[in-house]
Amino acid sequence: MIVAGIDCGAKNTKTVIMNDKKLLGKGMALTGFDQDKAVEKSLADALDEAGLKIDDIEAIGSTGAGMEDIKDAKVKVNEIKAMAKAANFFFPNARTVTDVGAEMGRAAKINEEGKVEDFAINEKCAAGAGAFIEAMARALEVDLEEMGPMANTSEMAIPMNAQCAIFAESEVVGLIHAKTKKKDISKAIHDAMASRIVSMIRKIGVNKDIVMIGGVGLNPGFVESMRRELDLEKIFIPEDPAYSSAIGAALLTLEEA
Amino acid sequence: MARYPTEPLKCWAKAKELRNEWYRDFQEAHDKGGLRVMGSAWAFDAVPLGLGRDVHWVTGEPYGASCAFDKPLSAKFLSAAENFGFARDLCAYMRNYWGSIICDKYAFGGGFPKADFAYSQHICCSHAKWYQNACELEGGNVPFFGIDVGVGPCLPFAPKHYPHRIKYVADQLLDSIDWMEKVTGREYNDELFFEAAWNDIRSTHTWAKICMLNRNIPAPLDEKTIYSLYVFGTLQKSNGKFADFYENDLLPEVQDRVDRGIAAVPNERVRIMTDTQPPWGFLSIYRYLEKWGVVSIGSLYTFGLEGMWLYDKENNDLIPRPLPEKKPETREEACTMLADWHLTKPEYQHYYSPEYKTMMMDAIAKKWKVDAITLHYNRGCEGLSVGIAENRLGLLKRGHKVLTYEGNMGDEREFDKEGVKRRFDIFMDGMGLKKLEDD
Amino acid sequence: MIEQFKQWYDKRHVYAREWKERNGGKIVGFFCTYAPEEIFYAFDVLPVRVLGSHEPQDVTEPHIFGMFCPFCRDVLAQGLKGRYDYLDGIMIAQSCLHLRQAFTSWEIHKNPGWSYFLPMPNHVQSKRAIPFLKEEYKLLIEKLEELTGKKITDDDLRRGIKIMNRARQVMKDIYEFRKREAPPITGAESMYMTCAQFFTHATEFAEVAEKVLVELETRKLDRDPGKRIMLVGSENDDIEYINMIEHLGEQESVGCTLVVEDHCTTTRYFWDLVDESIDDPLDAIATRYVNRTACPTKDWPQRTRLKRILELAKDFNVDGAIIVQQKFCDPHETDIPFIRKFLEENDIPTYFLEFDVTVPAGPFAIRTEAFLEQLGMEDDLF
Repeated sequence: MIVAGIDCGAKNTKTVIMNDKKLLGKGMALTGFDQDKAVEKSLADALDEAGLKIDDIEAIGSTGAGMEDIKDAKVKVNEIKAMAKAANFFFPNARTVTDVGAEMGRAAKINEEGKVEDFAINEKCAAGAGAFIEAMARALEVDLEEMGPMANTSEMAIPMNAQCAIFAESEVVGLIHAKTKKKDISKAIHDAMASRIVSMIRKIGVNKDIVMIGGVGLNPGFVESMRRELDLEKIFIPEDPAYSSAIGAALLTLEEA
Repeated sequence: MARYPTEPLKCWAKAKELRNEWYRDFQEAHDKGGLRVMGSAWAFDAVPLGLGRDVHWVTGEPYGASCAFDKPLSAKFLSAAENFGFARDLCAYMRNYWGSIICDKYAFGGGFPKADFAYSQHICCSHAKWYQNACELEGGNVPFFGIDVGVGPCLPFAPKHYPHRIKYVADQLLDSIDWMEKVTGREYNDELFFEAAWNDIRSTHTWAKICMLNRNIPAPLDEKTIYSLYVFGTLQKSNGKFADFYENDLLPEVQDRVDRGIAAVPNERVRIMTDTQPPWGFLSIYRYLEKWGVVSIGSLYTFGLEGMWLYDKENNDLIPRPLPEKKPETREEACTMLADWHLTKPEYQHYYSPEYKTMMMDAIAKKWKVDAITLHYNRGCEGLSVGIAENRLGLLKRGHKVLTYEGNMGDEREFDKEGVKRRFDIFMDGMGLKKLEDD
Repeated sequence: MIEQFKQWYDKRHVYAREWKERNGGKIVGFFCTYAPEEIFYAFDVLPVRVLGSHEPQDVTEPHIFGMFCPFCRDVLAQGLKGRYDYLDGIMIAQSCLHLRQAFTSWEIHKNPGWSYFLPMPNHVQSKRAIPFLKEEYKLLIEKLEELTGKKITDDDLRRGIKIMNRARQVMKDIYEFRKREAPPITGAESMYMTCAQFFTHATEFAEVAEKVLVELETRKLDRDPGKRIMLVGSENDDIEYINMIEHLGEQESVGCTLVVEDHCTTTRYFWDLVDESIDDPLDAIATRYVNRTACPTKDWPQRTRLKRILELAKDFNVDGAIIVQQKFCDPHETDIPFIRKFLEENDIPTYFLEFDVTVPAGPFAIRTEAFLEQLGMEDDLF
């Protein structure tokens, strides 16, 4: 059965095409203000990659903040369920999964079947890691892609309070004035953000098999900060972590449609 | 198809009239030569009633909640308090209340009626400061008496019901009577006091009995309705009309609903309990939950804020505290009886350890046959959200399903309605529930 | 000599462990300065205050809801991270709810086997507070008997009183030097001293502090004292901030010296002595804690703090006051507008700063400097 999974996130819309459990294609578009357009574009890209036409799709599953508005979706999956399913699919050993995206952070405790036992969502005044690191990159005048690798070259630990992006930015400015090296500031930024996500994960309980999905999983600086903060040997990250929730939605669509 | 029959409460109109009349009485007290008192919903409101039958109360917490219900008005009050220099994270009721005074605007029309004196109690960081500051905002010439009730937990959470702790509170009550005579120039009438003290005990006892009836499946009352009814205890538990209303109108009617199987929520499938004050501007959340067939049967908050219970450790149960054997006959007796009675308030115990509250919540969850628990991490009330994160852990440990959401009872800016609905969606989905079709 | 206090402050746990080894005694951690340390000393138990470490942490989120103050979370983190594992007990005397959560969560998850909540009365302006507190002290004594297996006498209590009073008196004498036109001790140094009291045995503390007292007679600091600043507010041991403002004068046109504070880490803690002429020692101790400089949560119906803060401001001849609020600190938030108003009415300019576990040093430096400049301009008017 060929299905599409669409994850309509606050920043990006991600679409995957799957034939049973095999990934055929994926596409991504900025959600922006026109969600329909983003869905259309990401779906077209995914179909392109899969070499399929829209009529080949037997069912669509949607997830993410905008999932209710995807008209053609046969199955609507809440984002916690989608991320749990994806984590279980990639790493059956996973018992804790966290999704760190541009605008929000989530975590779930899951059982061996990938069912959600408890979950946490970052509360108000807790912007997502992606947007936060992006804002700090601007303050540092460093390309976003450089931020993570740069952080990993630092061995300094500078305490920074990331409760609020505005305060954090003023701390960054203070560090720049104090002539702190950019790599050290970058590490402090990643550590601060990771500490907030870890705080949230601790709410539902930490175990050693933690899966991280979401686009921020591509940032090696952030992943390393998370690993250190959680005191783990490794964090499990699927390939193309940004698409994980879309895959979770597709898998659940296979089961439910 | 509805599972159970439902019908509106018959005493609803009377409840509404009683409440309006009470707020009006405070406003008009001076026209009739009476006195106005302001203080907390937890104040020993019976004590000032010895000054005469024309003593009228306004209590800050329900007043603040009424403000919050009217979002534009509340926004005005909150910004007035902030402009004065008060931090935004302080108690939201208190900021609404101070804002009312600063704006000189009563939520029920007209200017804010200046109280003749303030009479309150203190257990959280803000209770006494609330009225200390309210008096100052009124121009500094409103006298204030506070009663400290922070004397530690009661049985069964403390090894003993320590007499010196009851005495400390009772002695302050006695002192307050002398003080009131001095500041009002009135002579104190003990007979009126005894009557008021007994009304207080009677209404808080009866409220617990009413809540007991919600153990029934289907629940005769849902929490949204309970909010409109428990409020009398918060307005003035010593008010004779309120005590009579609980005893003669509400209790028999709820009993009758139980006998006839009348449900508050006709599709009752899942029973939840909550915690702390709700976000008053967003009670529609409860209606949203009904779409899953969810009924909230109440909470330690609605049961125990103005209801008197005893926790039975052996049976992990919460039972209404029995009435004292006899009515008070001397001033000392009345003060001691009130002190003793109120120190066992369930909502006082968690101030000393979250474990006590977890035990009582666990008892409610089990005895009221609850399927899941939602905790409102209430940014608007430090006092009732103290220890709430440990309550979550304790309840999870006891095998309950727990959902938390952040909000604010009295400051709508801190409530993300869509986000919270989303959370409930995820939670209900996780429990294997599907939304019922809209009727 | 002053260096010793910095060392005690920085290496608080090393001191405590060593003390335990040397004396074989028990150590109880207390969470608020309303703890009657005299009674602990009477049992030869070392009371140490639990303070935070000013590091961001991620271990308290499951235990304390985010709207409670960063200080209480920082304190709990110390326990959860095992930094106080040498404690034999923990106790709190009733004050604010924030800190109480650090205590109750610690009690649930890291209980060293002995813990106690003392219902320190809130209505300290009532004549009923002292007799009530005395009864509570008797219950505390019973609990301490369980901890130590000892009984104490009135003389033991009097010994406890003397131990505490000696340390308090020497700190007060040291503060006298801060009244000088060119104080021979900086605010940061003084803060190290007042906080070191929390981590050391009061007698050992007093012995070194008394030597400092002698040293201060002739000590001269090679710095321009600049504006005389007072800090008023919540718990504060943010020495980094104090250090920073006291060094502003080295680069900027205007500098300052912190000359006095109203904090529970400083004057509110040690200013008031136990009256040794009161016959019954428990009476004497209860009287001291009921009448001591109040935390705002106990300062009602009269706001007695106003008069006292003004007295300190005058006695130490301050040019301006910085009102420090620990983020989310309800007790202080209910007082701050009135304190600012009162000080301004009494010609003491004020400036407000909200503190978190870490402070953004750069922006705070700029803001403090702007405030100091404003104080300078007021001088120009005359």
